[in-house]
Amino acid sequence: MANFPPSDGSTDGHEPRDGSERQASGVEQSDLELVRRVQRGERGAFDLLVLRYQHKVVKLVARLLRDQAEAEDVAQEAFVKAYRAIGSFRGDSAFYTWLYRIAVNTARNSMASRQRRPLDYESDLNESEQSAVESRMRHGDTPEAAALSDEIHRTVNGAIEALPEDLRTAIILREVEGLSYEEIAEAMECPVGTVRSRIFRAREAIDRSLKPLLD
Amino acid sequence: MTDQIREQMSALLDGELAPGELGLLVRRMERDAALRRAFGNYVLAGESLRAPGCIIASPGFAARVSAALDAGGAVPATAPAELARPAPRWKRPLAGLAVAAGAALAAVVLVRPGTDGGSLVAQQAAPVTMAVVSMPGGASPTPAQTQRLAGYLVAHGQYASAIGRRNAWSNALAADPGINRVVYEASEKR
Amino acid sequence: MGRLSVIVAAGALVLAAPLAGADPPTARQWLERMTESLASLDYDGLFIHSAGSQFETMRIVHRVEDGRSVERLVSLDGSGREIVRTAEEVHFYMPDRRVVLVERRTDPGSLLKALPAPGAKLDALYTLELRKGRRLLGRDVQVVDVRPRDAYRYGYRLWLDEASAMPLRSEVLNGAARTVESIHFTRLDLGKAVDPRALQPGVDATGFQWVRAGRRAEPPVAGAGWMPRRVPPGFRLVASRSQPVPGTPVRMQHLIFSDGFASVSVFIEPAPPKGPAPPESASVGSANAYSTQVQGHMVTAVGEVPPETVREIANSVAPLEGGTPAASAAATPVDR
Repeated sequence: MANFPPSDGSTDGHEPRDGSERQASGVEQSDLELVRRVQRGERGAFDLLVLRYQHKVVKLVARLLRDQAEAEDVAQEAFVKAYRAIGSFRGDSAFYTWLYRIAVNTARNSMASRQRRPLDYESDLNESEQSAVESRMRHGDTPEAAALSDEIHRTVNGAIEALPEDLRTAIILREVEGLSYEEIAEAMECPVGTVRSRIFRAREAIDRSLKPLLD
Repeated sequence: MTDQIREQMSALLDGELAPGELGLLVRRMERDAALRRAFGNYVLAGESLRAPGCIIASPGFAARVSAALDAGGAVPATAPAELARPAPRWKRPLAGLAVAAGAALAAVVLVRPGTDGGSLVAQQAAPVTMAVVSMPGGASPTPAQTQRLAGYLVAHGQYASAIGRRNAWSNALAADPGINRVVYEASEKR
Repeated sequence: MGRLSVIVAAGALVLAAPLAGADPPTARQWLERMTESLASLDYDGLFIHSAGSQFETMRIVHRVEDGRSVERLVSLDGSGREIVRTAEEVHFYMPDRRVVLVERRTDPGSLLKALPAPGAKLDALYTLELRKGRRLLGRDVQVVDVRPRDAYRYGYRLWLDEASAMPLRSEVLNGAARTVESIHFTRLDLGKAVDPRALQPGVDATGFQWVRAGRRAEPPVAGAGWMPRRVPPGFRLVASRSQPVPGTPVRMQHLIFSDGFASVSVFIEPAPPKGPAPPESASVGSANAYSTQVQGHMVTAVGEVPPETVREIANSVAPLEGGTPAASAAATPVDR
């Protein structure tokens, strides 16, 4: 749906998966708890929210601006705005929904002040056009940045391929299918604690492969 | 010990952390850049898994945001009353509204005047042309200017029609009014 | 999708019902019904406000208490700003600036007749037309087109709920028939009693700067007796008051002009100390503002009219002969 946070596998909680009513997702609840802490003055909690949503926001802004070079500046501005306005967030919607709209408005303002026509509807581009636009943008970046981004993806991909199967399954079910630990435990027929541990170890393996690249 | 903290970070990312564990974890991460980096990599793993080759924030992005917040001395507004506990979905009207809002919004942006049966063209006298010269550098209004304009809109709204008031006050509420500074050419005659 | 709940209890909806056998209501009658409903019904709704390339979700809550409208308008995205109009005051909360602007609310009783209301003279300035519309929020709608006859005004398209005449959607259109601003309800609860607590501000304003109009002995009014020499056809002075410039002891003149549908405010205040500034205009949604300096005063015209209109009005403001607040023959005849 145009202009609405896309579902990307993580359970942002916009639609109940099986039609039955259920609690707001764990991620939503944890976001709310973090926002509560920010409102009480814990800056660190906001830094965590930035870490969690940095790629989503940069990606969103880059698509609207059709220019990745400025995307990070504008994305940064969006996060700063969100921080300043955090006191007014009341939990009526998911935090990411709120952040998404701030990012869209920030991007549109930036386009307006540069007198460029914004990409009004994400539905303007179909899937293949969208990824074509994105790949053009990636290569329009500095060669170093584009190369680094490619290498990051290759590294992650390689690390996942190299994982033992139970770890790989667990992290894919979580990140790509958006299942909760409980649901994964059911699917993999193991205790929840094992799921938590497998996902953690998968991430550790990926982190270890990324370290030499990024440190 | 470190492993335990890192495992908690992983659970936090999935929203599966036990309620009591969050406070300590946040504080540990605040103090430890290596933990934050690892958390960032966990996030990156997910993004890359979902969309290999997609656009990602560059490695220094989160640190730059943090620095910007430090430098700007940004202070969030005072904490409001306790946030509502997230209720089950069917009790949260706005969550269900999301679909409606999306659909309605699509209707708002996609319908052009005149597609709803007949075109709407103002019959007008000789239209006044407006010379539009944008401010150098496309300056945004200062907060003081925003506040001043908002004050006028609020005062004006009291006397406008109900529709006019709703529009004027909605504009006063807009986050970034998107004020376009249009400077008329000096040669305009009065 | 969205829903519109209307509980039609006897007398809950105050509408001028057409007589049996009478003609179907005209466009102007629809507008009159709409004005009546907006002022007299209790409602609580969510809408998407869009202007230019921006959109925001907002909530409006409206209640009638002792014959007076009280209402609250909240931005649900980003700024978190809200406006709360109580029986006595209007509070504008800006959490992003940590400021609350406070205005005294003028007694509407004496002004009710003068406030913009669609009257017989509207036909000279606008053409009104009825159209069929698609259903909205599950309700049948009547579309009213309000087209200006000249370039000094904006046009409107209003989608009115046939049962209550409440506008479920409204658009402001410029001369090129492009949408300048739109309000589109995604949910509207009508007829149920509105909980007074829904009118409480959601912002905790402790520590905010309260910018309040003080009530003191009357210092001289800046711009007393000043008038625009030229106003577009059909605009008449409908109200005039002096109010303190927020945060200072100086009072400024506030004149309100209306053509029965659109209205323009003219504010005249002492020029800021810094010396002459170039004319400045601002445009936000359908609201346009134009400021200019005249003889040591700053004159600002603001209204839901095109930029040229506020510019011409502001540029034509001048002291009257002898500085007395008498109607001048040079100006369009005014009613007081």
